[in-house]
Amino acid sequence: MRARLDATRVLLRIAFRNLVASRVRTVIIGLIVLVGALIVVVGSSMMESIDQGMRTSIQGSLGGQLQVYSSASEGQLELYGGIRGESLLEPIPDFARVKEVLGKVPNVKMIVPMGIDQALVATGNVFDVTLAKLREDVRQLQASPGDAEVRRGLEARKAHVQRLIALLAEELTQARVLVDPNGRDASLRKAQRADLDHAAVPAFWIEFDRDPLAGLEFLENKVTPLAMDSGFTFIRYVGTDVAAFMKAFELAEVAEGTAIPPGQRGILLGKQYAEEWLKLKNARRLDQIKDKRDRFHARIAKEEELQRWVKDTRSRAREILAQLDPLQAAEAERRLRPALEAPAGEELPALLARLFDLDDANFDRHYQVFYEQLAPMLRLYKISVGDVITIKAPGKTGAFNAVNVKVYGFIQYRGIEKSGIAGTTSVVDLQSFRDLYGYVTSDKAEELAKIRTQMGATQVSREEAEAALFGGEGPGRQVETTRAAAIDERQLLAGVGAKRKAAKAEETRAYTQEEIDHGVALNAAILLHDPGRIRESQAAVQAAADAAGLKLKVIDWEAASGMVGQFVLLLRGILIFAVIIFFGVALVIINNAMVMAALARVKEVGTMRAIGAQRRFVVGMLLVEIITVSVVFGLAGAALGGGVVAVIRATGGIPATSDLLFFLFSGPALLPRIGGTSVVASLVLVLGVAVASALYPAWIAMRVTPVEAMSTED
Amino acid sequence: MHRLLAVLLLSAAAAPALAAAPDPATPAGLASLVRLIDDRQRNQGDWKALCYMEAKEKGKTDVVSELLVYRRDADDKQLFLFTKPKAEAGKGYLRIEKNLWMYDPSTGRWERRTERERIGGTDTRRGDLAESKLADEYDATYVGAAALGKYQAWHLSLRVKAGVDVAFPQLELWVDQATQNILKRQELALSGKLMRTAYYPKWKKVLSPSKGTDVWYPEEMRFFDEIEKGNQTLVLIKEIDLRPLEANLFTKAWLESRSR
Repeated sequence: MRARLDATRVLLRIAFRNLVASRVRTVIIGLIVLVGALIVVVGSSMMESIDQGMRTSIQGSLGGQLQVYSSASEGQLELYGGIRGESLLEPIPDFARVKEVLGKVPNVKMIVPMGIDQALVATGNVFDVTLAKLREDVRQLQASPGDAEVRRGLEARKAHVQRLIALLAEELTQARVLVDPNGRDASLRKAQRADLDHAAVPAFWIEFDRDPLAGLEFLENKVTPLAMDSGFTFIRYVGTDVAAFMKAFELAEVAEGTAIPPGQRGILLGKQYAEEWLKLKNARRLDQIKDKRDRFHARIAKEEELQRWVKDTRSRAREILAQLDPLQAAEAERRLRPALEAPAGEELPALLARLFDLDDANFDRHYQVFYEQLAPMLRLYKISVGDVITIKAPGKTGAFNAVNVKVYGFIQYRGIEKSGIAGTTSVVDLQSFRDLYGYVTSDKAEELAKIRTQMGATQVSREEAEAALFGGEGPGRQVETTRAAAIDERQLLAGVGAKRKAAKAEETRAYTQEEIDHGVALNAAILLHDPGRIRESQAAVQAAADAAGLKLKVIDWEAASGMVGQFVLLLRGILIFAVIIFFGVALVIINNAMVMAALARVKEVGTMRAIGAQRRFVVGMLLVEIITVSVVFGLAGAALGGGVVAVIRATGGIPATSDLLFFLFSGPALLPRIGGTSVVASLVLVLGVAVASALYPAWIAMRVTPVEAMSTED
Repeated sequence: MHRLLAVLLLSAAAAPALAAAPDPATPAGLASLVRLIDDRQRNQGDWKALCYMEAKEKGKTDVVSELLVYRRDADDKQLFLFTKPKAEAGKGYLRIEKNLWMYDPSTGRWERRTERERIGGTDTRRGDLAESKLADEYDATYVGAAALGKYQAWHLSLRVKAGVDVAFPQLELWVDQATQNILKRQELALSGKLMRTAYYPKWKKVLSPSKGTDVWYPEEMRFFDEIEKGNQTLVLIKEIDLRPLEANLFTKAWLESRSR
């Protein structure tokens, strides 16, 4: 025992002496180990933080811990959409059954039904919207001709339409400069211009007062199509039990407006979606410039992107002009002149040009003027809180389905407000989703089959079409004589008025929990009491679903996140690949250095062997050297890594410069947190690599015999 | 849905009774035959038809509807009013020149689409909403006589004229020799790739009291998508009513009033 201790002491002494004697080699190997440990510590801390951020973002916004959907589905559930759009999921016919069965599984806290899809919202262009209001005004006046208030409203609206016509005429005159007057469609353009001019003259409006409906038909069909603005926008939504959704997803909060009252139909528009797609473009651009200036210290004078945005605001001033009727325009002039220190008498177009002539010196002041003086008079969002909007989508029956829903407010997710990944998804009540989805119930299928039979429709396949349609026995008889019918649409449409009234009543009534639960859903989020037991619970939920014959697929939040989750996998893959490459190179360098060291010490090793040192002793000597270097420099590297992480945190973290990063970081910046796991992992890794790289040199040294050593020249 | 409407806009047209059959082997006869086909795609005065539409698309549930189609070509106006299934009843599509207005009684809202947009993201294009102008837009050549099942047909090939913008630059038509009705129509891309095939296996003629002459219409039309195999559309015209339509029928107010 004592001899072994002595031997160990000698071994350590020789090893340390060697390390000190070959300082350069020791430092080179040490630095490699240090950098390796640093990379592993910083990289794994960042990955752990991204994992944590993504877990927060996904579990707190749409995912929960587990998701279930029909196992008969062709596609996979992707909560945030995939490359080819929304997931192709088969419906879960009765969510109540799922809730009942899975609710009994231990550790399951809540089950939230969902249906994620996209729909079309007809916002109309400014002409469409104003003419629709004018039509409403006309109807109101026809209903109560003596109402002075209604008449005043109608007159103001007429003045607004006249102003829009004047702006459109100006725009077309400018556009005409660019096109060949004798080119294609020249006659069509002339006719369009004549229609516009016709609507601009006082005689048209005198005639309008006499027959307003005819005047409206003319404006809607001849004038509105000339305005180029699009009147549609797409919306991504999750149809859900809204009360359960708000309770389950802790990051969800109503940013503006109120929550949808329990059981009511309604929509909470994604705040980020509203900012991106619904906000008046000039206001949006001002916000973007402000954000870039404040958060990233960008300057208009230096950044090309900001200069482009400034140019964009200048060219879009017309959208603001179009929103204001003559009285409002005068009020806007009155407010803007002193705020912008403009000369008396300067008119609105010039004032707007002055307001949007932005540079770094005036930006903050002009931003304030816009929001304080002008914005209160404008419709800042195409859809406002309190509006009833019509959303429509192609349903399962093939036809487009549409529902009216009230906008109760805007929804955002705490911490990831600026992320478009979660923030563009709006939340709609489950009944409206079901109406849009148009699930083919057995009643509906029966109705369609009946129509088919009544109409004598036969099925012909493409392959057999010609034979079936033109073949057969006897001479061809293509034409039959028939008698004209007397079709009565009133009879065919009997009961449609009642349907309209019933639909109206459905819009405003509150649904019971039972009604909300019973019906179609496409997927459901499951929230657990203890998220740490996710694997065990996933298996239990799957087993319960299988036992009840529910035909469900159970996946975890990471799989359900689709492309977003894959992006994190990609990041992790890149980090692992980089680490492998680094340590591969390190292994070769350390190995070379140690081989050189072993060869340089052949004589010494031979002498030691000659005086009785065992092979084991020689190997031990080299391993002690390398382990010592690895531990010392590995610890230093880990400490340095910790320092780097601390510096990143102290300087505010790594900023999220894109939507995706905002989501992955679960906030505006990534604040990496050093974990014990990453330090231990880095030490184990560098030690393993170092020992592996010392094995070959140790083997060379081990094979040295005293005879060989003595026969070697020098 | 919009694809179906386009089909009706294109094809569900009444045509006048025929005079003597032209001979397509001669240039004059060929020109007169193409003009005749145009006439068959062109409407003559007011009409109202009860139609059935069925569209099959791969991976989707079939669209099945019954609807009324109103036409008044003098003003270039059309109206489609859905009567079945229940969920669709009262929905209307009003076409006034190049505007297509859509009305849904369950929301009480109107939507306007213009010719600039691809309608509803479907294959419906501007050309589909236009009147047939084969003689103006295409140069026709006579390919020869061909049998189509038990029918003897003339096979015509049409190529678009220079500078004309159409949805399909090439058409192949098979015209029944006995009745001069189109039996089959193939629509091809510029590359010669077959895009869509249409069959008109049954035509009907009806005496129009207001005109004192026969009016013809295809009772059955079948369209097969040659790109998305499996997609097909069937249109049946079950009844037609040739009485003059109400003067204010092609207005929003009239359509709204149907579902009040």
